[in-house]
Amino acid sequence: MGNETVKFTVNGKGVSLEVEPGDMLVDVLRERLGLTGTKAGCREGECGVCSVIMNGTLVASCILPIKKAEGATILTIEGLEANRELHLVQKHFIDNGAIQCGFCTPAMVLAGKALLDKNPRPTREEIQLAISGILCRCTGYQKIIKAIDSASKSGKRGEV
Amino acid sequence: MNEDREKGAGAKTDEVFSVIGKSKSRIDAHDKVVGRLKYIGDIEYANTLHGAVLRSPHPHALIKKIDVSRAEALPGVMAVITAKDVPGRNGFGAILPDQPVVCGDKVRFVGDGVALVAAVDEKTAIKALELIKVDYEPLPALFSPIEALAAGAQKIHDSGNLITTSRVVKGDTEAGFKDADVVLERTYKVPFLEHAYLEPDATIAVPSADGSIIVYGPMQAPFTVRRNVAPVLGIPINRVRCVVTQPGGGFGGKEDSTIDTAVRTALLAWKTERPVRLEYSREEIMLSTCKRHPMTLTCKIGAKKDGALVAFEGTIYDEQGAYASLGPVLPPAGGVHAHAVVMLAGPYEIPNVKVEGYLVHTNHPYGGAMRGFGAPQANFAHESLIDELADLLKIDPYKLRMKNCFKLGSQTATGQVLDQSVGLRETIEAAERAFKWGEKRKPTPDREKAGSEEKRTGYGMAIGWYRTSIGTMADGCGANVHLLEDGSVIVYQGLVEMGQGMHTGIAQITAEALGVAIEDVRIVTPDTDSAPESGPTVGSRSLTLMGNAILLAVKQIKESLMLSASELLEAPAERLVARDRFIFDREKPEVRLELKEAARRCMGLGRRMMGQGWYTPPKPTLDPQTGQGNPYFVYTYATQMAEVEVDMRTGEAQVKRIAAAFDIGKAINPMLLEGQIDGGIGMGLGYALMEKVILDKGIIQNLGLKDYLIPTSLDVPEISATIIEQHNAHGPFGAKGIGEMPNIPTPAAVNNAIANAIGVRLYELPIDSEAIWRAIQGVAR
Repeated sequence: MGNETVKFTVNGKGVSLEVEPGDMLVDVLRERLGLTGTKAGCREGECGVCSVIMNGTLVASCILPIKKAEGATILTIEGLEANRELHLVQKHFIDNGAIQCGFCTPAMVLAGKALLDKNPRPTREEIQLAISGILCRCTGYQKIIKAIDSASKSGKRGEV
Repeated sequence: MNEDREKGAGAKTDEVFSVIGKSKSRIDAHDKVVGRLKYIGDIEYANTLHGAVLRSPHPHALIKKIDVSRAEALPGVMAVITAKDVPGRNGFGAILPDQPVVCGDKVRFVGDGVALVAAVDEKTAIKALELIKVDYEPLPALFSPIEALAAGAQKIHDSGNLITTSRVVKGDTEAGFKDADVVLERTYKVPFLEHAYLEPDATIAVPSADGSIIVYGPMQAPFTVRRNVAPVLGIPINRVRCVVTQPGGGFGGKEDSTIDTAVRTALLAWKTERPVRLEYSREEIMLSTCKRHPMTLTCKIGAKKDGALVAFEGTIYDEQGAYASLGPVLPPAGGVHAHAVVMLAGPYEIPNVKVEGYLVHTNHPYGGAMRGFGAPQANFAHESLIDELADLLKIDPYKLRMKNCFKLGSQTATGQVLDQSVGLRETIEAAERAFKWGEKRKPTPDREKAGSEEKRTGYGMAIGWYRTSIGTMADGCGANVHLLEDGSVIVYQGLVEMGQGMHTGIAQITAEALGVAIEDVRIVTPDTDSAPESGPTVGSRSLTLMGNAILLAVKQIKESLMLSASELLEAPAERLVARDRFIFDREKPEVRLELKEAARRCMGLGRRMMGQGWYTPPKPTLDPQTGQGNPYFVYTYATQMAEVEVDMRTGEAQVKRIAAAFDIGKAINPMLLEGQIDGGIGMGLGYALMEKVILDKGIIQNLGLKDYLIPTSLDVPEISATIIEQHNAHGPFGAKGIGEMPNIPTPAAVNNAIANAIGVRLYELPIDSEAIWRAIQGVAR
């Protein structure tokens, strides 16, 4: 394996891995840690399906060199359920028909969570902007926007 | 969706359903929302080799010599395959096997495969590709149908460059045009389009112990893949097992691309006797897999002063590119080309029609299936034309369409009499109400008068129709349904959950028909070893045809189920109803039992607990010589209206809202149906405003999603959709297809709105800012 060590936290658990400097976060998550809920679609940071939350901010993990994750706190889709209970955004994605092929879904859900953590009552335009870095070829985005909107409206303060 | 669901004259309003017509969450929603569902990229096999494809840099060239010795000598390389190593047929394709698995004598487009490598890891495989030396002798390359059809043009295939000519001839167009008060002729152009499904293409092939091979991948048409892999390896079809993994989008593209990856992966696995994984990068996908066909469509229409249409003529130059894919005619009305020709005159009653189409090879990437399958191209032409005709006649385009469009009993351009489930006029009226067309839309201004404001708003509309089925004689599909003794149900069938919600839809149909809950039904992921032949997941056929196959299967189970229930309840079987996990006496509903009790009795007495359904829709009767007859058995209808704001200084167009209405027979699941509508319109907006594969001398200039732009969340406006339910006599619970209809009218609706804003008409997609700016300024490109 690689020649450098990197330490970070994923979904609440500390990891320490030998890596090669050119490794991207997406590959480390998928291939070394088995977290395949994070997808790779273009490997140039354009489609956004590789998005994860790092230190509270949505990042494209396919263009994030692993060294930049040193010391970071990372949340992937696998870490979103708490005590086997779906996150509010996940529930609203299901109830509002916001999922089709599902390939962008983990990234879209995380984008919704990252938005609501910072802005619990976003406008439609703010939701559109928050997910604009992630492409979806199936849904036309309408039901994704609706799901995030209804999650924001249904959540008690501090819950989302 | 508008709450006032509209019921047409043909709708059946008296039926009460438990599961049908309900917005159930999709059955795979949970696995997808927690990221647990495995796509092909998430599946690993021990001991797997990595495959790679060496691709041609030339659009057209002879291969003089290939030297693979250095690649073979590289440590870690387990196989290098060239044409001489193919054990069976060196060709694949959805309709004709004309694309070499590995090119032997010549290459026909930039991206054609000339050698395959399997190695212990990806890096070694790519290194090996660099060590293969190919000597090419370039040939003259042809980049348009006109060039390819010129006398003496270089032949791309031995059979010549013209693949097929298709026609529709009805009445006498010459006489029709003489009778017309107004005649309008225009030429429209549409480009190659990329599917841009987000999941990259990949397959895994695993040699199996009994001399068979297993192929895993996001196959949209696993049976088509199976019948391609077998002859390439030179083995019987029953030795190939295709197991579908959830496609991360497909839109027609993964009907074709998975044949490509599967035959190549299978060949490498066959040669190395090890599992092999072949994954294409985003650039490789754009370079080498099929696209939407570019077409040049010339249309001429004649009308009386009052707007009555009297004649239509059309010519289509349909660019197939290097390989046949899904372009050619699969008799009588299958294939992209036949579909475009049949649809070109639009959903209008026109007594005299003549359409001719030429499907032509070039040295470009090849056209294949993409959502709409030839109809979006045709629709852009006829709906832009009819709109311009309305301006000429000084008739509201809404009224012109209402005057001429199909209604019950209308005769199409192919002479088909539409004898049921025709809700087109109702969709126009519904969209008009939702959009407030009459109130909003003003006549199109002259160009001079249009230039004074900074921003102008225009209103445009388009209507459309789309088949349910593929128009070939082989449109059958099968399902095996098993009722288990605890009342749960397993369905084996071979149509694919692409994301459209088809498996949820057939779970609803199964549950309703059998009287169980949707949660009781498990749809097994398609596997050609266990699923009956079902045909491809295309042509908006899946829910309708498979729904019917399931109803036939359920009928067999219900005979024994109701017999058992009748014995237990001591009530006549013909009075019994199964619903919501109970079976009850229709006349005395309190006389009831749990369905699973009857199921247990069936099991205990050895009664039939499985049903096998096979459904073939009404046969197409189109005569290929005249283009007269029935190409497809039923159609979905749609209207879309768009409000577009144009910045008169920059040419930037912003779609502000869309009102749409669809006649879909019966909404099996309204929420998932809306998902199809939103997504289709989103895709249609990309076609309208931004998408185009840019080619220069056969080389794609915008490889990758950085340069090939598709709509983002900022590009799709709010969409209101109204559903009309004109019962389809040939559909399960009256349903017909919806997968492809939504993206078809969008480009023309947007184009017509832009014309209404700026006072100038455009004839080519995409209608990007530059094109609009040039139109406003009167500057040619």
